[in-house]
Order: sequence, then C-alpha cells, then structure tokens
Amino acid sequence: MGSQAAAITSPVPVAWYPTLAILMLAVGLIVTASFFIYEATSSRRNRSLAKELTTGALASFFLGFGTLFLLLASGVYV
Amino acid sequence: MFKQLPAEKLRPDRLVMGLRFDLLSLFTTLALLSRTTTVLSDVILSRVDRRIDLTSQIARVTSTLKVENAGPGPVSEILITFPEVQAKNLAYLMAALNEGKGKVKNSGISLPIKAVNPEGMPPSLIFHSVSLPTALGEGDSLTLDVLAVFTHALRAFPEEITQADIQLVLFQDTAHYLSPYAVNIQSLTVKLPKSRIESYTKLENTNIHGSDIKYGPYENLPSFSYAPVVVHFETNQPFAVAQELVREIEISHWGNVQVTEHYNIVHGGAKSKGEFSRLDFQARPHLRGSSAFRNLVAKLPPRAHSIYYRDEIGNISTSNVWDDPKKTELLIEPRYPLFGGWRTTFTIGYSLPLQDFLFESEGKRFLDFSFGSPITDLVIDYLIVKVVLPEGSNDILISTPFPVKQGQETKISHLDFVGRPVVSLEKTNVVPEHNQNFQVYYKFNSLSMLREPFILISGFFFLFVAFIVYIHVDLSISKSSASYLAKMQWDEVRATIQEVQSIINQCLSTHEKLEASLRDLSRTGDVQACKTARKTADSLLKEYSKELKPLLSFLQSSPQATQILPKVEELVAKERELQERLITKHSTIVDCYEKKIGGRELENRVASQQQKVIVLKQEVEDLLDYIEEI
Repeated sequence: MGSQAAAITSPVPVAWYPTLAILMLAVGLIVTASFFIYEATSSRRNRSLAKELTTGALASFFLGFGTLFLLLASGVYV
Repeated sequence: MFKQLPAEKLRPDRLVMGLRFDLLSLFTTLALLSRTTTVLSDVILSRVDRRIDLTSQIARVTSTLKVENAGPGPVSEILITFPEVQAKNLAYLMAALNEGKGKVKNSGISLPIKAVNPEGMPPSLIFHSVSLPTALGEGDSLTLDVLAVFTHALRAFPEEITQADIQLVLFQDTAHYLSPYAVNIQSLTVKLPKSRIESYTKLENTNIHGSDIKYGPYENLPSFSYAPVVVHFETNQPFAVAQELVREIEISHWGNVQVTEHYNIVHGGAKSKGEFSRLDFQARPHLRGSSAFRNLVAKLPPRAHSIYYRDEIGNISTSNVWDDPKKTELLIEPRYPLFGGWRTTFTIGYSLPLQDFLFESEGKRFLDFSFGSPITDLVIDYLIVKVVLPEGSNDILISTPFPVKQGQETKISHLDFVGRPVVSLEKTNVVPEHNQNFQVYYKFNSLSMLREPFILISGFFFLFVAFIVYIHVDLSISKSSASYLAKMQWDEVRATIQEVQSIINQCLSTHEKLEASLRDLSRTGDVQACKTARKTADSLLKEYSKELKPLLSFLQSSPQATQILPKVEELVAKERELQERLITKHSTIVDCYEKKIGGRELENRVASQQQKVIVLKQEVEDLLDYIEEI
C-alpha cells in the first residue's frame, strides 16, 4: 500500500445518482414520446427513416443511462 | 449455592491419568533427547515469563523469552516447540522483538516463522523456527515476545450438562516451558475468568492470587523439561464456534463494496442434555442457563450501511446497530439462546463505501480488506473468503499475511456478459487474530465500466428498431383486396391534405410577415423596406399557389377525398381572398405614407379592408382546425 496509493471512487458522485436517474429518464421519456408522435402523425410517404433512427437512438441513450442510474440509486450496484 | 456435579462423575484425576499415558511416551523421548542432543546448547533462555489467558474460549499463551547467545558463532534462528497434541489446536503463532523495556506490548514487527523438522527429533514434537532479522552475536541477548493461540483447547468436563448445571472445562499445559534450550528462570501465570476454580494441579511454588494461578519461579531447568498441569474451572464465556463461514465481498466500481456472510454457528462447550425449559430460562437465566449465550457482537468497519440479518425463514429483527466514526457495532440475537451442542445458521450483509477499501498504485488497483470475521471472539473451523471483482478485471494477484488456499471461479451477476472473476481463499482454524488486511491486485480498464450502460442502451435501441421495422413492413396478406386498396388510397389522401395544410400554414406566416412590415413602417417610416418586404411576400405567395395546384388536382381525382374536397377547396379559396385583401391593404397604407396622408384619412381607407381581413382570418383558422381533426 503505502502513501502513494490513491483511493478510487465512482466516476460520478454517489450523491447525484437519484437526481441523474430522474433527469435522464425524464429526457429519455420525452424523446420517446416525440418518437411515437412522429410515428403516429406521419403518413407513409412523408416518413424519413433517418429521423426515426436518430430519435430512437437518442431516446435509447437517455433511457439506458437513466435505467443504469435508477438501478444504482436503488441499491443494486451493478 | 453451587450445584453439585452429578453422582457418577469422573474425577478429573482419572481423565488426566489417561492423558498422562499419552505423555509417558513423550516423557521418555524428552528424557532421551536432553541427553543426546548437544547442538542446541548454544542458546540459553535466561528468563521466560508465560501468561496463559483462559478468559475466553480461545487459549492465548504469551511468552516473553530473554534469549542469550552463549555458544560459539552467531545465532539467526530460534526454535519454538509444541507437543503434537497441542500443536493440532494451534491456530496462530506470532513472534516479535521486544525493543523497549518494561511491559510494552506490540512493540515490534512480527518475525517470519516457519515449521521445521530438525533431524534427530521425535515426531511427537512440532518445531517452529523464528528467523531473526539480524544474527545475534556471541554473548548478546534479546527479548522475544511469542503469542500462540489455541482453539478447542478447553475441553468440557463433564461433557454433558443439563440446563441448570454450570459449565466446567479442563485445560492442560506444562508448568515448565517446553523448549530445546535450557532455561534459567521461568514463571507461569494462568489467568482464569472470575468464576469458580474446581481444581488445579499443585506443584511446588504454586499460588493463587484472585483468579490467577501462579506457577514458579522455577530455576535452572534443563531443556525439554515438562511438568503437566491440569486446571479445571468454570467458564460462562460464549463458546461460539462457526463450523463454516462463507464471506463474499463484491466490488462495484460504481461506489460500493457489498459483504455477505453466511454463518453456521454451534455452541462448542459442554453439550446440553435433558429438556429445555423456556420458563426457567427466562425467569432465572443466571441459575438456569448460565452456560448459554444469547447474542453475538460484530464490529463492522465504519460507514457501513444497509445492514441486514436474516436466515432461511426470513428477516430476524432482534438486532441493534451503533454507529461510531471508528466502527459500526452490530449486536445480533439469534431466534433462540444457544446451549451446548445447539446450532444456528444465519446471513449478515452490509454495504461499505468503495473509497475506504479500493486503491490504485502503479497502474494496478487493489482491494485492502480484513480477512477474518467481524464477530468478536469467534472460532471458525472452516473459512472461505470470496472476492468478486467486476467484469473485465484481469491479472489478479493475492497477497495475504498468512498462508491460505486459493482458487478461482466465475459468478454471473447483474448485467454480465461472461461473468465476474471470483477469487476464493480458504483457511481452517481461524481466530480473531487473523483479522488482518489482505490485498487483491488486479488490472481494470476504466472504459470497461461503460459496458453496463451500453448493454442497457442497446436493449432499448433494439426495441425501437423492432417498432420501426413493424411500422415500415407491409404485413397484409392480400395486396389486391378492396379494403387494402381503399386503405392505401386514404393514406395518400391524408398525406396530400397534410401537405396542403403545411403550405397554407406557410402562406399564413407570410401574411404575418407582411403585417409585421406594416407595423415597422408605422414605427420607423421606412417606405423602402416595406416595399421590398411586399415584393418578397408576393413571390413567395406565387410559389405556394403553384405548389398547391397539383395537390388540389390529385385530391379532385381521388375517390376517397370526395367528402373532404369541398372543405379543402373552400379553405384554398378563402385563403386566396385573404391574400388579396391583405395586399390591397398593404398597398393602400404604403400609398398613404408616400403621399404623407396621415391619421384619420388612413384609418378610414383601411377600415373596411381591415374588418374583412379579420373575418377571413378567423374562417381560415376554423377550417384548418376542422381538417386536422379528420
């Protein structure tokens, strides 16, 4: 061990976990909602696959991180 | 008030006779040895003070040896001897140099000890050799502190007792220090718990001070001298013996160390016979049940949280936690008191902050954690410590202060691909002196932490892609049925109407721009800017009407749109009218400004146009709303 050993902590402060979970899940759900609205209101001709995929990717990014922080905040340290 | 032992008791002397038969062979070998070996006469122990602490179920023997080098040449090893029957129970052996004068405890670092087998010695003696850091010169002397810890050394006698009996145990040792060297002066103190002493061997120079038995001082005894003593005394200390303990330490780089301990505890003292009366036990616990123990105390590291105590049935609520900056004290009370021979199994779990235990140095991370159980004064027959490292750790190395048996396995846990590496350390006969820190070194790439969110993100993305595929793929079975064709046409109509809507909205925004330019004009008086705005608006509106034409013609041709077509046409017509009126209004106002007619006249001319504009705007908006709802 010795004096040059540095303590390792989590990359994100543990106190932020609940806040981050709620924020990221909220943003993720909003983007999901916009994805489904776009799907519902656009017709076959006007749909653009690129827009769908980017919205889906953005939504899954935020939802994924939101779920991770939700798990960590509730004590399941994955 | 002391209970008589049962009538058919065995006198302890007879038991000792049986033991003495074993020692007879030891005696003869010792006698032979002291005559034949002369190689170990270069070291003389000038003073030996021994203290045997029997106040708990673990026997701790502290010996202070004053070693003198009397022979030729320097000495770098000191031998410590135990008879085989005692060495079987030896759990921990530590030797340290005593630097200071007087009774200074733990003053030196511990010296390396290894078991040796010198030739010419009988197999019933076990030898350990202490290596000195610097060789002891001729004529020099030093002081050595040796701590030997024995488990299961206190034998219950009688072996079975009822609930009301007191628990008596036997301890046997030698009053003369068993050593391959000659001893000049020696003494022995046996410290007993403050209860009744049933009997003890009386040799010369034996005194009792309170609850301590002092043997000695004895002078000028030859090497391998042995004087067996047997002490029979009462002890009510908890005889908690964990037959198997599995400690699992799971590390998560997100900030947590989770420790789970599975205990299988038995009362290792005199076995309980007869029936158990709960009434007697609760009414008079000191008379009916002094040999039992009710609770166990565990000293957990500070800042431990989320502590749970449960067994197979469920949660056990009889527990208490006291927090401290130095430790977290946990008091657990099993569902029933433990009498001799009774057993209980339970699980304790707690979480610790990561930064107290995980460190980084020279590119490697290491975990610094204590090896033994946090329960005070617990003897563990078989201990397994499993350290679960996060997925993606490699180059795993263990460093322990005492020898353990290592193994490696894998555990699949939350969000795992291939499983987490688990290092298992096994040791038998563990005592609280083994609660020292051990280290687990490993390498871990920080980017591997992103593996877990990546799994979640790809899971969600797969769902989205599946939905997109479902929407895009045409799953109808018959492509030429009437309903399918009708649906397709209706889709087209809807798309066209949406386009019409967007164009109309663009027209409306152009109107807004025109109105804004009029307001600007009234503010700044800049006629030129107004005229340019008008020109751009004109061109835009022309474009929009061009775009509208093909859409309208399509709507007129398709059969599905018959219902909505009149409304759309009305909308387009109204919008056109609105356009015209706005443009006339705009040009009127610009004219007025150019001719410098202000105020009342301006308003008069504009008034009628303005009214109609407002009415038309309202109608257009209503139509748009109506069309949207279709």
